[in-house]
Amino acid sequence: MGILDGIGQGFAVALDPINLLYVFLGVLIGTVIGVLPGLGPTATIALLLPLTYEVEPVTAVILLAGIYYGSMYGGTITSVLLQLPGEAASVVTTFDGYQMAKQGRAGPALGIAAVGSFIGGTVAVIGLTLLAPPLADLAVEFGSQEYVALTALGILLVTYLGTRHPVKSLCMAALGLLLATIGQDDITGTTRFTFGQIALFDGFDFVAVAMGLFGVGEILYNVEKTEKAQAIKTKLKNVWPSRKDFRDSSGAIARGSVMGFFIGVLPGGGGVISSLASYATEKRRAKDPSRFGKGAIEGVAGPETANNASSTSAFIPLLTLGIPANVVLALIFGALLVQGITPGPQLISQEPEIFWGVIASMYIGNLMLLALNIPLVGVFVQLLRVRSGILAAFALLVTMAGVFSVNNDSFDMWVVLLFGLVGWLMKKTGFEPGPLVLAFVLGSILETNFRRSMLLSGGEFSTFITRPMSGTIFALMALVIIISVISGIRKRRRRSRPATPGEEDLAATGTTAEPEGTPGNETTDEQAPPAESGVPRDRS
Amino acid sequence: MSKHLHRLAPAVLLVFGLAAMYGAYQLGLGELSAPGSGLWPFIVASLMALTALLLLFIDDPDDYEQWNRNALRILGGLLSLAVFIVLFEILGFVIPAILMLLLWLRLFAKEPWRWAVPLAVGGALVFYLLFEVALAVPFPDGILLAGTGR
Repeated sequence: MGILDGIGQGFAVALDPINLLYVFLGVLIGTVIGVLPGLGPTATIALLLPLTYEVEPVTAVILLAGIYYGSMYGGTITSVLLQLPGEAASVVTTFDGYQMAKQGRAGPALGIAAVGSFIGGTVAVIGLTLLAPPLADLAVEFGSQEYVALTALGILLVTYLGTRHPVKSLCMAALGLLLATIGQDDITGTTRFTFGQIALFDGFDFVAVAMGLFGVGEILYNVEKTEKAQAIKTKLKNVWPSRKDFRDSSGAIARGSVMGFFIGVLPGGGGVISSLASYATEKRRAKDPSRFGKGAIEGVAGPETANNASSTSAFIPLLTLGIPANVVLALIFGALLVQGITPGPQLISQEPEIFWGVIASMYIGNLMLLALNIPLVGVFVQLLRVRSGILAAFALLVTMAGVFSVNNDSFDMWVVLLFGLVGWLMKKTGFEPGPLVLAFVLGSILETNFRRSMLLSGGEFSTFITRPMSGTIFALMALVIIISVISGIRKRRRRSRPATPGEEDLAATGTTAEPEGTPGNETTDEQAPPAESGVPRDRS
Repeated sequence: MSKHLHRLAPAVLLVFGLAAMYGAYQLGLGELSAPGSGLWPFIVASLMALTALLLLFIDDPDDYEQWNRNALRILGGLLSLAVFIVLFEILGFVIPAILMLLLWLRLFAKEPWRWAVPLAVGGALVFYLLFEVALAVPFPDGILLAGTGR
């Protein structure tokens, strides 16, 4: 099927009234939680997973995707007005966006961010449309060795790129893989690690694990850190940017679109890294870099464009290879698995309405976001009056009722509670739940393909290296590990050399890069950056 | 001693990893050419034990947050959720939901009673209607607003 036919079919799916409603709901919820500090896209998607059982698979993905890229818009609003990033990818926007707001230019800052996000998102959707089918064709040739390689690469890159502390993340990824083995072994039928509990025969339910770690764990962590709600004083007027603003930021938007697109495709990429990279690039390219941090509009336009573009292009590896590029996508992957659909190269041919329907919905969703954001910014700002304690109480109740509704079984509520405790403890001890959940989702795929490869090759590990595709991927992985070990050792000798572009800007404001999908750092306060985070965190 | 308190987390993970390695070994590793059901768990448990061992020595103590009174409140919050689940199994949805919301709104959100009570009662009823009536989730029969008979 050609791309044009596909897109046609996709729009037929996406324009279905139910799906239109869910695109709208998705981007609206996304914007709202992007505005609310204390509830990030991962937590929200985790909380809404049970809802996806009630609707068609394509509708579910349309909703969840809308939440993801919608949150990228919403996070901007609080970054600009309050210097509080509503979610992690908007941290860089606080540098210049808040300064613009102080100069009375909050309107244009938000306007250019909305326009840039729209352009970035649209460019990325077009790229997705063009790039995904050939990639999926290539992937059809993959054997189980390639899947082992790709899945392992995905997990490895997410643990290395998206997080602060690779060894801790790797440890969590291993824990996730281990938890995935609980229950009946698909191949031999023996039960593993169930301790005779019948409820464990099917293993832990993915939804319950995700809701516990991301939903409950994150809510608890944020309740612990809660601060008082802030009143907005800034008056908003002239949201539409002037012609000069457009001229100044057009280059940044163009570069941000392309950069965001490519970073999003990489495993471990996503909104946070792409917005940092874009900010660093714009600053480097500027004739007068000293304007940055003092209200340069390019510093808002570039990163905002890039984070939206990357949140769209991150769907490419998921829809074509079946590899989620980051934690948010891992949740969407899990939602599809729950519906009995395994995303992968066959998706385009076997479930074209899902593949193309989701893509078409993104075109529509980006249009809706533009239409929502420009006139309604003032309304969204009022959401900040909602106190986070109230939000937490209701979110917890929704979690509990929601997880019960999945299997109508209160055992899952205990699983959520257990993983909520684990998630909260992990946050407090600097372990990240992201790699754990990603590995948990991919665990059974990795194991099945590993065992199949072993059977096929008669127990020869060399089978992974001698096949050209998987060999290349494993070589790449070895490279990643070697580079990170070397740079890790060097960093131990002379600490504090930031590794990621833009990290120095972050460090300068006393914040650190949060992993993808978390709500923003709420303690960013002008006068009091916490002492210990003034030192850049290790990062490879 | 408290200087080494942060090593507790990797130590727990290490013990957990070693236990899992033993459990996997018991399941039977099989041959590489014919992997048993314990082989894969053994491999990942080894990876986990190895990284945990490494963390015992290299982990950065700054990564660990201080324990304070706030943390105790959170543990209390978790306990309240456990109580909620137990009550939910006995009393159905509405009453435990009201109690839980009331507790959280009073203790964690610090709302005054005049807000907390209506929010808790209203919220519990709205969620009851949403889940039990609109989404047809069969909550356990309650003493108030009994289940709709599914």
